[in-house]
Amino acid sequence: MRKLPRRDKLKIYGDLLFILYSEAKKEKVVLTRVQLKTNVPFDRLKTYIADLKELGLILDEPSLKLTDKGKLYLSEYQTVLDFMKRMGLAYG
Amino acid sequence: MDNAALIVAEVVSAIICFVLLRFMIKPYRTTGESRYLGLPLGFGFLGVSYVFMGFALYFESFIFVDDLKWLQLFTQAYAFAFLAATYYFSKKPPERTRLWWNITYAGLIFALVVSYLVVFEPPMFGLPSYKTVDEYFRIFNIICLAYISIHTLRSHVSRPDPKTIWIPLSYLLLGFSQYSFLIWSIDSSFSAYVGAHVLRLSGLLVLLFVAYQAFYGTREASPKEGIRDEEAST
Repeated sequence: MRKLPRRDKLKIYGDLLFILYSEAKKEKVVLTRVQLKTNVPFDRLKTYIADLKELGLILDEPSLKLTDKGKLYLSEYQTVLDFMKRMGLAYG
Repeated sequence: MDNAALIVAEVVSAIICFVLLRFMIKPYRTTGESRYLGLPLGFGFLGVSYVFMGFALYFESFIFVDDLKWLQLFTQAYAFAFLAATYYFSKKPPERTRLWWNITYAGLIFALVVSYLVVFEPPMFGLPSYKTVDEYFRIFNIICLAYISIHTLRSHVSRPDPKTIWIPLSYLLLGFSQYSFLIWSIDSSFSAYVGAHVLRLSGLLVLLFVAYQAFYGTREASPKEGIRDEEAST
């Protein structure tokens, strides 16, 4: 079985924001599905979500979704990841 | 080749490097990982080395012209060493190698300072002829660039994507440029000298093109759709 690389907090936040962005197209964001996709324990997922809320990157009304600041951050984060991929640099 | 043309080539190369520096700092600023510091440091030093060479060509009768050439030699070699170190550490798990990359970067900076002091203190340390050292440094640069080219090419082969082929090409062009400079240094071939400048400018322009495409190229719906679904699952 392939060993998955360890992710730092920043990468987990990036992944989580992307998943929330994708899930937001559905009617309601189901945390269990998010947990499954992010591959982190449920208690830690709740901590990460609380952190992202505190940073103003996501909202919990009526369902979890990205704020404009969150979308901007995600866009910039993905641009840098894309640049690193083009440069042949590994991250994560 | 006309001296003015050479100065222009150095100035253009330096400008491209400083523009690249602005892009290369972004991975470090986004991830906060010091292993990516080698990219901005590498392109910064590369730009400074072209500035030194430009000054050396412009002020031909200047008293410090030899010192400038020596500085250019060291600075350029350190630039490629920083880039090679960045690529080497980028594939290693960060939690295990953090200490090593910090030691490597600190060692490179220490060596840089020492070599600058050596240049300005020639009575204490008798330096060999510039031509001899230049040839050794060119070989060192070729080794660094060959390592980076192979690294980026392997990365491209492992996940083929038309977007990732440009970088190995750019480093190969820079490597061939160093090789042409080496040939010129050995047999004073004029075509090798001109070719070296052309190859260097081409390599830097390809790097600039890649950076520009990544940051200002055609974007998909923002945030980018489907970016690394496989990453999200890791």
